[in-house]
Amino acid sequence: MGVISAIGNSVAENLVSLREGKCGIGTSSFLDSKYASTLPFGEVKWSSEALKSELDIHTKGITRTSLLALHACNEAIKDAEWSREELSSSDTALIGGTTVGGMCLTDELYHDSKAGENGSEYLTSYDCASVNIFLQQHYKMNGIANTINTACSSAANAIMYGARLMQHGFAKRAIVGGFDSLAKFTVNGFNALHILSDKLCKPFDQKRKGLNLGEGAAFLILEKEEDLNGKKVYAELTGFANSNDAFHPSSLSDEGDGPYIAMKKALGIAGLQSKDISFINVHGTGTENNDLCESKAILRLFENIPPFTSTKSNIGHTLGAAGAIEAVYSILNIEQQEVFPHLNFENGITETNLIPLQNRQQMNVRHVMSNSFGFGGNCSSLIFSKY
Amino acid sequence: MFYIYQHSCISPQQTFQDIDLNILNDAEEGKLKVVETRYEGIAPALLRRMGKAVRIGVGAGLPLVKENPDGIIIGTANGGMEDCIKFLDQIVEYNEGMLTPGNFVQSTNNAVAGQLGMMSRNTGYNTTHVHRAAAFENAIMDVDMLLKENPSNRYLLGAVDEISSANYNIEILDGSYKKEPVSNKALYDSATAGSIAGEGAVMFLAGISPQNAVARLDATQFFQAADINIVIDRLRHFLERHLQPGENIDVLLSGENGDIRLQPFYDAVENELPQHISVARFKHMSGEYPTAVAFACWLSAYILQQQSIPQHAIKKNASSETVKKILIYNNYKGLQHSFILMSR
Amino acid sequence: MERDDLKLQIKENIIKYLNLLDTKPEDIKDDEPLFGEGLGLDSIDSFELIVMLHRVYGIEIKDPKDGRKVLTDVNTMADYIEQHKTV
Repeated sequence: MGVISAIGNSVAENLVSLREGKCGIGTSSFLDSKYASTLPFGEVKWSSEALKSELDIHTKGITRTSLLALHACNEAIKDAEWSREELSSSDTALIGGTTVGGMCLTDELYHDSKAGENGSEYLTSYDCASVNIFLQQHYKMNGIANTINTACSSAANAIMYGARLMQHGFAKRAIVGGFDSLAKFTVNGFNALHILSDKLCKPFDQKRKGLNLGEGAAFLILEKEEDLNGKKVYAELTGFANSNDAFHPSSLSDEGDGPYIAMKKALGIAGLQSKDISFINVHGTGTENNDLCESKAILRLFENIPPFTSTKSNIGHTLGAAGAIEAVYSILNIEQQEVFPHLNFENGITETNLIPLQNRQQMNVRHVMSNSFGFGGNCSSLIFSKY
Repeated sequence: MFYIYQHSCISPQQTFQDIDLNILNDAEEGKLKVVETRYEGIAPALLRRMGKAVRIGVGAGLPLVKENPDGIIIGTANGGMEDCIKFLDQIVEYNEGMLTPGNFVQSTNNAVAGQLGMMSRNTGYNTTHVHRAAAFENAIMDVDMLLKENPSNRYLLGAVDEISSANYNIEILDGSYKKEPVSNKALYDSATAGSIAGEGAVMFLAGISPQNAVARLDATQFFQAADINIVIDRLRHFLERHLQPGENIDVLLSGENGDIRLQPFYDAVENELPQHISVARFKHMSGEYPTAVAFACWLSAYILQQQSIPQHAIKKNASSETVKKILIYNNYKGLQHSFILMSR
Repeated sequence: MERDDLKLQIKENIIKYLNLLDTKPEDIKDDEPLFGEGLGLDSIDSFELIVMLHRVYGIEIKDPKDGRKVLTDVNTMADYIEQHKTV
């Protein structure tokens, strides 16, 4: 596994921060936007220049999103101890989710879309695919590669797609994950929808006022059970499902139909019942709509509500990366047999009154459900289990 | 892999509803723009918000979602690029002040799949593949896997990309389109770099039962390579794997786009195949764009169904024999390659 | 500005900002609810109209919930504009 976020540049650093209940959200140092100092952001604490020199990348046209992705991907590959041959084998798939992609360069894109001549170095870097195309070239990969954009559930769908390619024999192993960086474009988009909070986000709280945008990247290495040969296993991906809420382009249906179906189907694929879930990593963005609808869907599905938290109170909403970063966190819950505190919570939502877990606790974590829902009604749910 | 029961295509040519491929529409100012329809099935309350990519994607998809597919799988490199640039214009004009969110919501790549899901109240599997010129190929893979997982289901498979002022300008700066004025009718005659801009939306209804099928999508393979030898090597393996002994390709549908830099790839693939087969081209109809290969799939399905290749598309060997198998080879910017095999 | 002129201007701006194809100002009644029934607008439209009030009349509505009251129909919009107009 590999991860970079506002609370750490590695899995180990993220684990320490989660245990300490650290919040990485604050004013932004590197975002070029007039909101950088007025709104809170979950920013990775390295400038793009620092990332470039750390990663020894000197080629032109590489965006911050690509740098974050490369950083997390390097860590994951090192962790899995893959050889160069395994990496470049035509049996190795690379699947990533993103919504911002290269559009973090909002000003450059604006310039290049109007310029008569003298295009910038980023002409082929603006689309979502640019990040994985860079990784494919960087690692000289020859297997199936893909990028998925289902808004905030992108990375969850990327993980699911990679797992299915392996199930169907189109890949023996896969690198799956997600990445996004802060961008003037998304900051203004979410702001125009009036769902950015000017305070620290308060997921599942009655007084929640919106989300904080964050950035980061995470990758997981998937291998088949028969290829393990005594390798270290963090967890098993047992369930996954995707459903559309089919209600509105930017908000969830009142009863959370899409989230309900996604969670229910994921349980079905895993062969589990709702009572088997030890812990839920909720989508919990801190917006009025998401948290209420997600609560209602959880209440519909679970007779007894398992402990749950939203790590968006630590790192903000990392959009296309969220499903992957939270997959890493869910797997840490299993590996460490421990759950981490949910931050900034005071009172439950009047209508549903679901109370997140606010203390660090050792507990028996067998199956963790991780939810990701996005614009366009795209809802996904993953289940990781102790191996 | 799977069968295609219905197809729908909004392209620069007369491909929607009253299909007539004998007429070849001209490019205007170096762009092959789609022929838009009246979109009668889309409520004005929804249509008013849609940018062109969403409009043509939904317009092409709507006749097929009426068949209640079990999921919606779309490939698009850029989604609503024009809405994206309109939102950028707002950011600059109002200096990040109060902005209207409509363009932002419509600019996300998954807007077409989301909108189709919403309009048809379809809560099934819904995803959007965006790996540039492998976006539609990945959508095909996804549908193939979904049908193996749920053999009785049927899925909507599609692709959409638009010419926006933004990506057109960026592609011009990047040298993707010809600098000199070019007619799509003479696209393949020029000996210069660059192609001609295109756009389109293509939708298929897919399942595994051969009943009522109009064509079959046999296999796809896609990869990144800058070396012609790798492409040929992949082609050999692909054909070995997917053609039965004694079976042959009847038509090569080649993604040639008039760009002299890419011609060696297309020539090498053509020369690798038996010399007697027909060779046809499609980018003078669709123009060049990241998911143009979906137009090639639509054209292949139509050729297999009608058993005739439009005269203007034929490069060599207009054969009168039955067309049973078509191989599509596409190459995007000398980097992303794909093979797709289709049959009757 | 006379109230009738103001209402006509509001209707023209609603049509412009929401890109209401084939709708003419006279199609929108003064007391017809803009949201739910009537024109059938939704939350995204309410944000678009809040921006319209800001850009055209210099009126700032901070909480979108207040916006819904102002945006009930053309009459309520005209009332609010007459009271709060700054440009």
